[in-house]
Amino acid sequence: MTTPPLHRRTVLGTASAGAAALAVACPDGGSAAAAAEAPARRRSPFRHGVASGDPLPHAVLIWTRLTPTAASTPGSGQGPRVAVRWEVATDAAFQRVVRRGTFQTGPARDHTVKVDVTGLEPATWYHYRFRYGAATSPVGRTRTAPAADATPDHVRFGVVSCANLQAGWFSAYRGLAARDDLHAVLHLGDYLYEYGPGQYGYGISDRDIRPHVPAHEMVSLADYRQRHAQYKQDPDLQALHAKYPWIITWDDHEVANDAYRDGAENHNTDLGEGSFLKRRARAHRAYDEWMPVRMDGTARLGDGDRLFRRLRFGRLAEISMLDLRSYRDAQVPFPGPAVSDPDRSITGRQQLDWLKQSLSRGRAQWKIIGNPVMIAPVDFAALPHDLVDPVNDVTGLIPRDGIPYNVDQWDGYTDDRREVFEHIRDHQVTDALFVTGDIHSGWACELPYDASTYPVGDSAGVEFVCSSVTSNNLKDITGTPPHSTSTVVEGIIKANNRHIKYLNFDDHGFSVLDVTPTRAQMDWYVIGDRAERDTPITWSVSYATKTGTGRVEQVSEPV
Amino acid sequence: MSGQIRGDRRTFLKAGAAGLVFSTVAGTPGRADAARSRKRAYVLVIDGCRPDEIDSGLTPHLAALRDGGLRFPQASSMPVMETIPNHVMMMTGLRPDRTGVPANSVYDRALGEVRDMDRPSDIRCDTLIGRLNRRGHTTGTVLSKTYLYGVFGGRATHRWEPSPTLPITEHAPDVFTIDAAITMLEEFDPSLMFVNLGDIDRFGHADLTGTTLRLARRLALADTDLQVQRFLDALEAQGVWEQSIVIVLADHSMDWSTPDKVISLTGPLAADPLLAGNVQIADNGGADLLYWTGPEAQRAAAVGRMRAIARAQDGVLAAYPRTAPWLRLGPEAGDVVVFCKAGWRFSDPDLFANPIPGNHGHPATRSIPFFIGGGHRAVPRRTASSRVARTIDVAPTVAAFFGAGAPRGGYDGRSLL
Repeated sequence: MTTPPLHRRTVLGTASAGAAALAVACPDGGSAAAAAEAPARRRSPFRHGVASGDPLPHAVLIWTRLTPTAASTPGSGQGPRVAVRWEVATDAAFQRVVRRGTFQTGPARDHTVKVDVTGLEPATWYHYRFRYGAATSPVGRTRTAPAADATPDHVRFGVVSCANLQAGWFSAYRGLAARDDLHAVLHLGDYLYEYGPGQYGYGISDRDIRPHVPAHEMVSLADYRQRHAQYKQDPDLQALHAKYPWIITWDDHEVANDAYRDGAENHNTDLGEGSFLKRRARAHRAYDEWMPVRMDGTARLGDGDRLFRRLRFGRLAEISMLDLRSYRDAQVPFPGPAVSDPDRSITGRQQLDWLKQSLSRGRAQWKIIGNPVMIAPVDFAALPHDLVDPVNDVTGLIPRDGIPYNVDQWDGYTDDRREVFEHIRDHQVTDALFVTGDIHSGWACELPYDASTYPVGDSAGVEFVCSSVTSNNLKDITGTPPHSTSTVVEGIIKANNRHIKYLNFDDHGFSVLDVTPTRAQMDWYVIGDRAERDTPITWSVSYATKTGTGRVEQVSEPV
Repeated sequence: MSGQIRGDRRTFLKAGAAGLVFSTVAGTPGRADAARSRKRAYVLVIDGCRPDEIDSGLTPHLAALRDGGLRFPQASSMPVMETIPNHVMMMTGLRPDRTGVPANSVYDRALGEVRDMDRPSDIRCDTLIGRLNRRGHTTGTVLSKTYLYGVFGGRATHRWEPSPTLPITEHAPDVFTIDAAITMLEEFDPSLMFVNLGDIDRFGHADLTGTTLRLARRLALADTDLQVQRFLDALEAQGVWEQSIVIVLADHSMDWSTPDKVISLTGPLAADPLLAGNVQIADNGGADLLYWTGPEAQRAAAVGRMRAIARAQDGVLAAYPRTAPWLRLGPEAGDVVVFCKAGWRFSDPDLFANPIPGNHGHPATRSIPFFIGGGHRAVPRRTASSRVARTIDVAPTVAAFFGAGAPRGGYDGRSLL
């Protein structure tokens, strides 16, 4: 999502000083406290945990990173080429190993291991682990997707986005890892942040709860690798990766803030950051190494960086994960008629055609779109500037002069949205469900064909937006108490946008999405203070959409 | 092929204030002797109903029936999304290239005119009705629309002649249709009864507030819901509920357009030198069927021209060659099938030919409600399935229920139970 650009400029001059101190505290990422907690884990060659992802009926990716020598730190380019053994079993004790193999890794791929394990049974829990010499990795658990023609009675996902390590502890990941009722985790982007210490942290003062490594904005390939490594050492993130397969897309911060096809707000050639496209290629390379995703449909490195893809869960649901950064035109500098220019795109032509295929009759019942930025129109024309400005600081949602668009979301590329919604209407596509991150707030929206007359008229579907894991929201950026400024803003937004049924600008946390043939329900869970590692987690609210209706309604309890 | 209506025994029965006329195949035994099986199947077609309308709050009885039985959230009408072809698909389990009935309105090359497919001889294949009759079951049709009564002709053992019908709509209001269905149940108790309720469709067609408030439509929904419940109550009262499956579905959905969103292809086609005078159009509201009437040698070129010209018109969604394998419409559908976008309609031969705001036939009208209730143990309770259900699945479902087998070449649909 959009982060305040002035902020970053202001702190750049102090970043190196803070970084030096922090590098001493935690040379390999993570905090000193975390390091003290798990010395055994840090001595293990598998200190970055294990992960799995992109489940198919007969295949799933498994991942780890090996540290074969002390010098083989992430991004170092040091260390030998080695063989890592892997095993997949139907039981946690590995008495019934069904697949095993050996994977060659080395410094060219930062000693990461990514295996596309095939020959598995649909809708089945598996356990996996890696071995190197006498060392054995932590055991991960994963699950394959149901068979393509299966009719599961439900599928259930954890839903998260926007995890800024500097802004706090990943208690949202902890909350999901404590559950035992999910089938997978959807991550909708901003899995990590590019900023250096002091540039984007906790609250209005940007305090770093856990400073980033390396201690500067990530730009080089080594930077991106080290930052991935730091995040992968977070114990809550490790626990959640080990518990479920993840289905992930990126937003902008995996490369740089407000990225677009050939640039980003936070890419500055005048600061020596060089070519944006080369920087993005480095970021994507590190992402491909460190994330349990199939890029260009494979686990191989270097064969392409197409991330938009589909994952089907029987006849019940199909998830289409979007990439809304790599192909989009630059954001317009200010809201105006250009946001509706049909020559501008947020998806790119190829991906838009692909998305329309995803939204076709005859595919799975629920067409779930993993959508990095909001698609619901948001019109704030009536908001006074005293309220608009702080909202813009955190969300970039409100054009100050009253034109109703956030130019970084689909509102800034309205012709693409028009084409998607018209396609839905022309083909009477039902159960289109957009699940969205990015905006550090919780939303439940209907998707009107004409927002100005709604609720007269029909809805193209529904959008559920999860809050951030840690990244600042409205109260954080304004420094106002919870449910004060934000409550006023939420009320005005909803009054001006009758299709928005729920909005929470105040809380951080995670969501749980449960899908059955009769309805899809999203539960929002919120955490306490991000600065407290053991902060409590509580259920906040739940909304559901009944099949075929394109409407949302509040429900009284979570699944 | 089943027999014609003429020559059958006609029965006049009193139901409430209405007089009901039933035709019965000569020689059919009375009620007590008719039932070869205790099983009963009722297919209720809520003509033109959209699936979301069952959740509108206006149809609580339909919603309860849906939620208590087996429902299919992904259910589809089949091309062309019109009344007659989809009713025929329900009662045959076959696609139009096997039934001979692809649309409501076709250009009859032999007659040289556009006409409704309302003749018994238009159905070129065996029907579920005939299959059950041959196995000793009795069947009944209670069809509110005169063209449906026409196309199914004398096939059923007992037929209600829709009356009184409203002018222009040529359909009997649902209250009379349900009166007839209940009377048929009480008097003849057929194993299979096929019922069409036309109010929601007919009120939808005429609803000038269709693009906004849908006022007339909402009234019809509420009333039809009550009528369906009357019929369900009658099943209980007759003591047949426990032996019954009740299949409720629509034949197609509904879409509305404003007077400025009208497409007429007649003029653009006539302006083309190749096509001028050599094309006929059968207007089906949301779909136009184009027929090449020129020399056979020029057909391929003409199809290309028709498609190109149609696609160039505002409001046209797609123009397919009729031979596209997925359409399976058969030669009666002509050479090119043109669909409009949502919120548009066709009006041919001129812009005044189709003044009605509510239309169907195009892909925007494909979603339908589809659920199975009833007290028979074959019906799952409170179950929803993500499998796709289609109008062609009705016949195989009912046939499987009765153990009535499949036609030569098999069904195009499949049993849902």
